[in-house]
Amino acid sequence: MQKYLGIHISNEEIESDTMSKAEVHTDTVGDIYVDDARMTARKVDVFYGDKKAIDDVSLDIASKEVVSLIGPSGCGKSTFLRCLNRMNDTIDSCRVMGTIALDGQNIYDPSIDVVPLRARVGMVFQKPNPFPKSIYDNVAYGPRIHGLAADKAHLDAIVEEALQRAGLWAEVHDRLTQSGTGLSGGQQQRLCIARAIAVSPEVILMDEPCSALDPIATAKIEELINELSAEYSIVIVTHSMQQAARISQRTAYFHLGKLIEVGQTKDVFTNPLNQQTEAYISGKIG
Amino acid sequence: MNRSKQGLLSPEQATKQVQETIKRRNKQEKRFRFYGRIAIAIALIFLVTLFATILSKGIPGFFQYYVTLDVELDRERLDPKGDLSTGSLYSGDARGVVRDALFAAVKPEGRSGKRAAGKMISSGSEERIRKFVQENPDLFGTIQPMRFALDDDIDSFLRGFIKRETPEADRRINDRVIGYVDDLNARGRISYNVSDYLFFGSASRDAEMAGIKGAFVGSLMTLAVCLVLSFPIGVATAVYLEEIAKKNRITEFIEININNLAAVPSVVFGILGLAIFIGIFGLPRSIPLIGGVVLALMTLPTIIISSRAAIRAVPPSVRDAAYGVGASRMQTIFHHVIPLALPGMLTGTIIGMAQALGETAPLLMIGMVAFIVDIPNSVMDPGTVLPVQIFMWADFAERMFIQKTSAAIIVLLAFLVGMNAFAIVLRKRLERRW
Repeated sequence: MQKYLGIHISNEEIESDTMSKAEVHTDTVGDIYVDDARMTARKVDVFYGDKKAIDDVSLDIASKEVVSLIGPSGCGKSTFLRCLNRMNDTIDSCRVMGTIALDGQNIYDPSIDVVPLRARVGMVFQKPNPFPKSIYDNVAYGPRIHGLAADKAHLDAIVEEALQRAGLWAEVHDRLTQSGTGLSGGQQQRLCIARAIAVSPEVILMDEPCSALDPIATAKIEELINELSAEYSIVIVTHSMQQAARISQRTAYFHLGKLIEVGQTKDVFTNPLNQQTEAYISGKIG
Repeated sequence: MNRSKQGLLSPEQATKQVQETIKRRNKQEKRFRFYGRIAIAIALIFLVTLFATILSKGIPGFFQYYVTLDVELDRERLDPKGDLSTGSLYSGDARGVVRDALFAAVKPEGRSGKRAAGKMISSGSEERIRKFVQENPDLFGTIQPMRFALDDDIDSFLRGFIKRETPEADRRINDRVIGYVDDLNARGRISYNVSDYLFFGSASRDAEMAGIKGAFVGSLMTLAVCLVLSFPIGVATAVYLEEIAKKNRITEFIEININNLAAVPSVVFGILGLAIFIGIFGLPRSIPLIGGVVLALMTLPTIIISSRAAIRAVPPSVRDAAYGVGASRMQTIFHHVIPLALPGMLTGTIIGMAQALGETAPLLMIGMVAFIVDIPNSVMDPGTVLPVQIFMWADFAERMFIQKTSAAIIVLLAFLVGMNAFAIVLRKRLERRW
């Protein structure tokens, strides 16, 4: 412990702070660093029991950019995504090593509470999972538990704006009291996005958000991701390389728990530096 | 049958082969369906027989024979002090008033005749007069027609259980009394009515006066204590074990023991209650409080097991969704998991309560089998419960107790059905789609 201007700062915090921005040795091809990093992952290993699911992954996520994580099934891209807001904490056997920092602060530091973290790093899941409550309550839930709304009118405004941004307001504004589970799959997923943005996060994590949707609903979500990237950092796991190419600025290719290559999306898809990446995006493996 | 010895079959061969086996498979299915129907039919027959027997035996138990007598409400005799106080009424001669009314109706001859006639009417009749005058003091001095229950032997005779043809020495009532009854019957004085004693009376050795009110109230109190203890504790335990506790040796050990507790014979819980609450804490015997605690111990494993199953059935996506917007564990549990698991938890609770309602053995151990006439006013008053009451009545010799027992069984069943119906309604209201 050092006492500095009357503020207690632990050595660990300083270390993790320096480490979070440090350049580290890595096997990954391409540039893992960005100038305006919102999140930085450094030497992240993830274990499920004895099994290593993520092996030495370092990656920066810039503010207001869309990063796609691609790779064959079981390559660890979803696991990595879930590390970014500590959703893996709910799995007993899961251990995370290394550093993941949000705005320079290690989110795995013991002093960090996951509740505010998850409010800052929102998540949208593979299967649309609205609460079995009304559309309004689905969106209002986050602001309610975090006490974001000053009063009922404010809450109404938050709900409306979140639904507006998720492109759902026009479709549901006259039936806010109906159950969220009664919507179509695409609407449900947009409701989940509205629920995530209602708590004003900095980063939104999306775990294959379109895999359960038809092409039209998918197109709407992609359009929405495009719009949202003006405001939020978005990390998206996807199995569709076309989708990654359409919506993301940067793409990261995972294979067997390792981050093989990362770079500007157009570079990764047109001129991959790594053979495995090339094999995957040209459809030879995976 | 032209199967090649090895390797894949040609599509034609395979089609033929499938055609041949399909007949056998269809037959199998048909046979299985047939067995299923037979099983259901047998179960239905048993169920119908059970209900038919209980209803046919029990419904007459809801009625009993009454005699209407003209009672002279003489204030001097009934209320000697004239203040309508309980003491005054009890020092009065209600018994004599009833007897006079009865003798006026049947006109017995001689002392032996009077003695025989006096036994025809329920000993509860005096109490009925006292109550009547206390409620209607302005009717003093008038002659009022009043209905009194007939003695259980007369009741059994009127129902045909005691037969006229039986030799007099083998009958519980003699020829003279039969004569009186015939006479009253001929004059339309005897009526067959819904038994008020059954519903509003308490335990009694006299079959015609025995009622279930005390046991019913006792059952309600015992169940209330049981529910208040077992539901919150059971649900809290289930939530803790499923959502909070780490899966390790200790929780595994606890789990195994909870499952074992569900299989422990209920008498054992009674012994536990006897040893701890009566032995160590020195609480009084026969009180619904201890009964409820003992039944709660017995019900807990059922509630815990079913609540855990209900919690496990809540889809993980709901928890993900809650955690994803930053709900804490407690918020996730109380806002999402418990509301979704509640219907399942209630089902388990109602099964547990139904078991508790029908339980006799552990309550015998803590003395709830005692003969208690007073209706309990609180959980600390001695009382009994419906199944124990049934158990006791089934043991009594008088013929009329058979009907009373069956009637009490119907009440118990109705209580159960009512509870289940309530649970179903509650569950339907709480059930949500996801």
